[in-house]
Amino acid sequence: MTHVPVTYKGGIYRHDEIIDLIEDLGGYIIQKHVIAQEVVLQALVPREDIELIRKIGKPLTGEITPSPLVGTEIAVVSPSLEIHHLPHASCDVAEYIRRFGAKTNMVGLARGFGKRIAQLNDEERDVINEHDLAVYLLGDFETCIEHKFPVLRRGIEVPIVLCGGPSTDALRKIIDPPVDGYVGGVGRFMHRTKESEEIEKLEEVVAEITRILDRRREELAKDPLSISPARLMDIIAENVDEIHDVLSPTPLTVQMQGLRVKLPYDTFAPVIRRVEVDEGVTIGDLATVAPSRMRDYILVRIRPFSETSVVL
Amino acid sequence: MEAVEYFEVECDEPAGREYYRKIADIVLLDHNLLRVIAKLHIFIDPKIPLFVATGVTRKLPGVVRLRDFADVNKKESSVTISIGDETYLAPLLRLLWEKFGKDRVNQPDRFTVLLTLDQGEQEGLEDLPVFDPSETIYKDLIYVLQVIQPEGFKVRRQYYGKGRFYLVASEDTLPDDTEELVRRKFALMGEEL
Repeated sequence: MTHVPVTYKGGIYRHDEIIDLIEDLGGYIIQKHVIAQEVVLQALVPREDIELIRKIGKPLTGEITPSPLVGTEIAVVSPSLEIHHLPHASCDVAEYIRRFGAKTNMVGLARGFGKRIAQLNDEERDVINEHDLAVYLLGDFETCIEHKFPVLRRGIEVPIVLCGGPSTDALRKIIDPPVDGYVGGVGRFMHRTKESEEIEKLEEVVAEITRILDRRREELAKDPLSISPARLMDIIAENVDEIHDVLSPTPLTVQMQGLRVKLPYDTFAPVIRRVEVDEGVTIGDLATVAPSRMRDYILVRIRPFSETSVVL
Repeated sequence: MEAVEYFEVECDEPAGREYYRKIADIVLLDHNLLRVIAKLHIFIDPKIPLFVATGVTRKLPGVVRLRDFADVNKKESSVTISIGDETYLAPLLRLLWEKFGKDRVNQPDRFTVLLTLDQGEQEGLEDLPVFDPSETIYKDLIYVLQVIQPEGFKVRRQYYGKGRFYLVASEDTLPDDTEELVRRKFALMGEEL
């Protein structure tokens, strides 16, 4: 059964039926938003059942659309959180990616601005490395990007999409060694993106991210994870009651290779390690449960089949 | 940017030049300063790196006096001020409190201020200067230029006065010939520092 990431949008009336349906079909609800009278569900559903959900959702004015980025956590890296980059460049991009189902976190570097003086500290590096992909939003000058980017990428192991003011070709030329994706024409700007050509640029960013993550998924499929992150999310939600008291919008954030659990590490890491996934198999057997550099959270990284010899 | 007589961005990188033209335009518009500026020349060299903005302001609006935004109604031992434009109410109240003391300044509602003043003190009240826009406008201008400039340029030299202003910024120590450079940029606009 292959799962496809989708977004379901519909009225709040009888939406629990859709949730039950998705769960009964063996799908997973990654995130649920209730906005006034509307419900937005981000879910992974079996490919062959999409039509069924569409049919049942139709009388409830529900719409189901593919969202390629559901189940990924993406870092949007900005040189700082000053007025020079906020709200427009950084928030517009972060928000647009979010519409395709990704969970985006904005990483504002403490000293990422300037040309010679740009720096990346170890905490920032580790936080970015906890994501599935990093989108770097740099400025408008080739000279500056060429000079500062090697510093900002030092130690980053996740795929990088580089956005900047110069054209895509110009960016490709100045970056050595190459990064995974480039989008030119998205540099520093001070106005809201609402014109069609600006939206097209944002589409380009999403297309680039989708392309890279699809390739990453293919690579992962060669040595599959011992358990799917979405299923692990359900198991933790069932077995660790305290997760329901967490007020974050996504107490359990699904990533491509694991989960971020928003509970204090010291208290809950042993609890999570002991949770039984299947008879005699615990989470500790399938995944590494490590402290996250983001607050006091827990980062669960699922080990591949080649390490555990188990696929659930 | 039609309101500005002269507006140029000078930079070796054509893409960067266009972006900064747009950024400057939008930031000035957002801060309501387009009306104030007559000429503006921005020079950016990302190689050094250096940011220079030079400009000339229009004739600034004059001092705002009490009678410009309020009606003053004098009686024997009291004065009633009816506020027409609330914009200057805060500086006015601060001024009145300072001058006459809080116990003699009464504000029964948003648009009325009652003063207990004898005849001598009532003299020339209408002409009380409340707000001088030129004091804040230059500060706003420099602030706006700091928003326009690339971020992280912490070494700055700025000047304003006599209808001229400039800001030179870099992340490194400024070159010795800054003054000369600024003069050259003013000359491009057909002005002198």
